[in-house]
Amino acid sequence: MELKLTLAVVGPSEIRRSVRELAGLDDYFVASAARQNTDAAGQPRITQLLDELARANGINLLEAGQRKKLSEALNQVLKDAPSLHISFAREPSPKALEKIVSWFRDNIDKNSLLQIGLQPSIAAGCVLRTSNQLFDMSIRAKLDKHGSTLLSLIAGASK
Amino acid sequence: MNTGGLILIVGTLAAATAAFVWLAMKISKPGHAPGKLKGGLEAAANVDVEHIFDDNFREELRNRGRLHFEKIIGENATFLQQDLRQTTTQLNDYMRAEITRTLQEEFKKYEQSIADAKQIAVGSIEKTITTIDQQRQFLETQMITQAEAQKKHVLEQFEKGMASIVNHYVLAAIGDQIDLSDQLDYILAELEANKEAILEDIKRGA
Repeated sequence: MELKLTLAVVGPSEIRRSVRELAGLDDYFVASAARQNTDAAGQPRITQLLDELARANGINLLEAGQRKKLSEALNQVLKDAPSLHISFAREPSPKALEKIVSWFRDNIDKNSLLQIGLQPSIAAGCVLRTSNQLFDMSIRAKLDKHGSTLLSLIAGASK
Repeated sequence: MNTGGLILIVGTLAAATAAFVWLAMKISKPGHAPGKLKGGLEAAANVDVEHIFDDNFREELRNRGRLHFEKIIGENATFLQQDLRQTTTQLNDYMRAEITRTLQEEFKKYEQSIADAKQIAVGSIEKTITTIDQQRQFLETQMITQAEAQKKHVLEQFEKGMASIVNHYVLAAIGDQIDLSDQLDYILAELEANKEAILEDIKRGA
């Protein structure tokens, strides 16, 4: 199954959460079939994350086979998709995060998974860490890199 | 003894001798009885001699001689005293002159020694001054060089520190005040700039 990740699915934690939720749904349906008496109040609530994911992939969550396919596809993504760690100076807003995730899915890999971290010391920008390399795209790195320019500017200002 | 005394003594002796000779010749003239006369004359001469040179005369002569001798001794003592005084004076003058000359020579030597020592000391001091001056110039040059190096080092450290301080200040001033939405364009631009490298790294990692 070709899985299409929604922008709400940012990283591995969301995938794992969705897999756990699917497993919970399976348990619920097994239990309700055994009891022959479904209680409306006892039905598990489906999260927006899973709901969007199911809608995006045309999955009917009431069907066990489709749930299983979705779960397998999610596990496959978790196994194969590139996982990147990106840090910001402060907690990103969902809207900003969606744009960043979208960029990664469009430009790097359609199943890119991001782990979000916080580094207040970078002030602005971000620090991206892949499995092999670190990309420091922060203001701190920019300032350090252009220290000589800053000094020449200070020297020019003092003359 | 003065000349007058000697002349008197010599004259007296000469007169006595002349009288004695005259008597002897008169007695020995021809015509007289040789034996008897001769014996008589000799006896008369002896008497006269005894008569002339009697004890008083001899005592007188002795006294005169003593007086004269004492006089001469006194005069000589006076002369000797004068000579002695003169000699003493001359000796004093000579000693004074010699001592003065010796002292002057010694003083000259002493002055020469002092002058030599002074010259040596001055030469030594001049040499020391020259050495100190050279040392001072060397130290001055060394200190200037070290001061310049230290100044340069401090300036470099200050510049490095200044950049760090400014960076730290800017980062502290920015802090976490900039919302991520405001940084989004910058972040996306940076990601775009590093896109190839990220892709390459992911491919390599895969």
